[in-house]
Amino acid sequence: MAAINRIGWNKYAQALGMPFMAIALGLFVGAIAIWTVGGSVIDTYAEMWKGAFGSFYFTTTTLTRATPIILAALGVSLAFRAGFFNLGAEGQMILGALAAALAAIYVPGNGLIKILAAAIAGMLAGGLWSLLAGWLDTRFKLNLLITTLLLNYIAMYAAGYMVAFPLKEKGGTGGAQTEMLDSAAWLPKLFAGMTLHAGFLVAVFAALLLAWFLAYTAKGYEIRMLGSNPLFAAFGGVKRGPLMLTSMMISGALAGLAGTFEVLGTQYRYIDNMITSPGYAWSAIMATLLAGSNPIGSALAAILLAALQTGAMGVERNTEVPLEISSVIQSSLILFVSARVTFSFLKRRKARGADGNAA
Amino acid sequence: METLLDWSLLSATLWKVAPLLLAALAGAMCARVGIFNVALEGMMLTGAFTAILGNYWFDNVLLGVVFACLCVGALSLLFGYLVIGLQANAIVVGTAINFLATGLTAFSLFAIFGVKGQFRDSAMSGLPKWNIPLVQDIPVVGELLSGHTPLVYLAFLLVVALQFFLFRTVMGFRLLAVGENPVAAKSLGLPVRRYQYGAIVFSGILCGLAGAQLSLGQVTLFTENMTAGRGFIALVATMLGQSNPIGVMGASLLFGFLDTLSTRLQSFSVPTHFTMMFPYAMTIIVMLFFKDKSYLRQSGRLDSK
Repeated sequence: MAAINRIGWNKYAQALGMPFMAIALGLFVGAIAIWTVGGSVIDTYAEMWKGAFGSFYFTTTTLTRATPIILAALGVSLAFRAGFFNLGAEGQMILGALAAALAAIYVPGNGLIKILAAAIAGMLAGGLWSLLAGWLDTRFKLNLLITTLLLNYIAMYAAGYMVAFPLKEKGGTGGAQTEMLDSAAWLPKLFAGMTLHAGFLVAVFAALLLAWFLAYTAKGYEIRMLGSNPLFAAFGGVKRGPLMLTSMMISGALAGLAGTFEVLGTQYRYIDNMITSPGYAWSAIMATLLAGSNPIGSALAAILLAALQTGAMGVERNTEVPLEISSVIQSSLILFVSARVTFSFLKRRKARGADGNAA
Repeated sequence: METLLDWSLLSATLWKVAPLLLAALAGAMCARVGIFNVALEGMMLTGAFTAILGNYWFDNVLLGVVFACLCVGALSLLFGYLVIGLQANAIVVGTAINFLATGLTAFSLFAIFGVKGQFRDSAMSGLPKWNIPLVQDIPVVGELLSGHTPLVYLAFLLVVALQFFLFRTVMGFRLLAVGENPVAAKSLGLPVRRYQYGAIVFSGILCGLAGAQLSLGQVTLFTENMTAGRGFIALVATMLGQSNPIGVMGASLLFGFLDTLSTRLQSFSVPTHFTMMFPYAMTIIVMLFFKDKSYLRQSGRLDSK
């Protein structure tokens, strides 16, 4: 019982209960939008539910979409917990995906070796890219939020160049993409004929692991302390620099892993814009905000957002209401949540040092 | 076959730079009162859509532009209320506003015009192009400076006006004081929040103009997500220009030129990735040298009041 309390189920209940209100308000705004285009609110939401969880097939599709969002959201929430506003998940995912594709193509060996090499390469690429932003902060005091945002674009164009020119698939149809991976390196599907792949299990495991790490380990405690009260952390002997670099590295590695699984489990190659167009990274940041940086909460919020997105596809297929209903709901949800986020940020601001970074 | 560099390249830079400059000035005003406005992208997109919508409803370009300014002004009030009134984190709210704008414009495009992706009405007239007498007859200069929309000229006039306002008027000094040290400003009896609201609404209006230039300037149409990251480039121009109107203009001109150059390079099938990447890479490098500027400290505080 004590152990259960230590993870803090009460906090989880809160972390779920407060966004619940925001979800209701978001759906209410969505209802107004549906009503203005003359759709039936009940039918539309019924279609949305069917599109997201209506059948086993749709449920697994939703979970497939949620997989990269969960992993990236875990990375973002770790950084947020440590008090660093890492907006660089997009760039970290992109480089992770590209590195994973290259490793899976060029590393010799059987499928398992290729998959492991790809995962290591992906995590390393994402982690190092994130580490660069952290290093610029600790070494030159560049604002982390701004550098991570800028590094996204640099990663995006660099990867775009790589697959459009030097690494472009030879004799292909002409799109900017690498060649197809050897099918031995594909992640196994969990169910025959469904899109859900083994990456989802890893994502769930990672969420539990991160929750355990933050709640039970000394490093996890230091990270939480640094995030909630940097001065107290400094007083307690926590070194901001090394801990920041570590948490940024892990944060980026998780985002890199998210990119890796998109390559190994879904697309089987790196395609230009495969990370940016579905907006995985921003969904991950939204999921983190929704759940107040709680790892398990972030994973659930990621599934919720993925469900809104796949559900909206169902809505578009079967009703007159356009797909964009999902971004209307998602963004109003975040606006409602931001008032609550305020509360924790307010508490932090008091404690922040003069050079304190993103809260 | 086009040549790589000619005068039309510079002329194209001028109209490409106008929306960027307007939005970057908007970002600079917010940064000057200590608010990091990441919502520029969404505000610009809303401006582009509402300008077309106003033009369509009132059948008048001027009313269209005014309507865009009003709508984006209202959106910026929402941003301001959440950030100043409710003390929410500006980055979080800004990100949400960007999403809201993307979703709502695409949704309204369908709800109002019944189309998806793009709306264009060949009967609709765009912003007029002004030919400046005398100047237009000078060979090269005329081609460069004449024949732009009023908003292009307004953007550059605003640079001068804002530079004067910020550094030569009492009100401008007070506004700077609000951003520099809100507590001290408050102790002097300055209405800090009113200055912040003022700056945010003004930036909203500027973004409305930027959007209008985008959708009614060179073309007269709206496409989904037509800002395509320009708001973020504007944000970067704000940082590079150190929130100083003249500096912001320099940065915007540079980025606008690179943008035109990228388009030109595409017709030569030369990779454009590096010209597109340049603004972001350069800003990081420049930040290394200007890291102590007060405005960066402000954005570091994020939610500084």
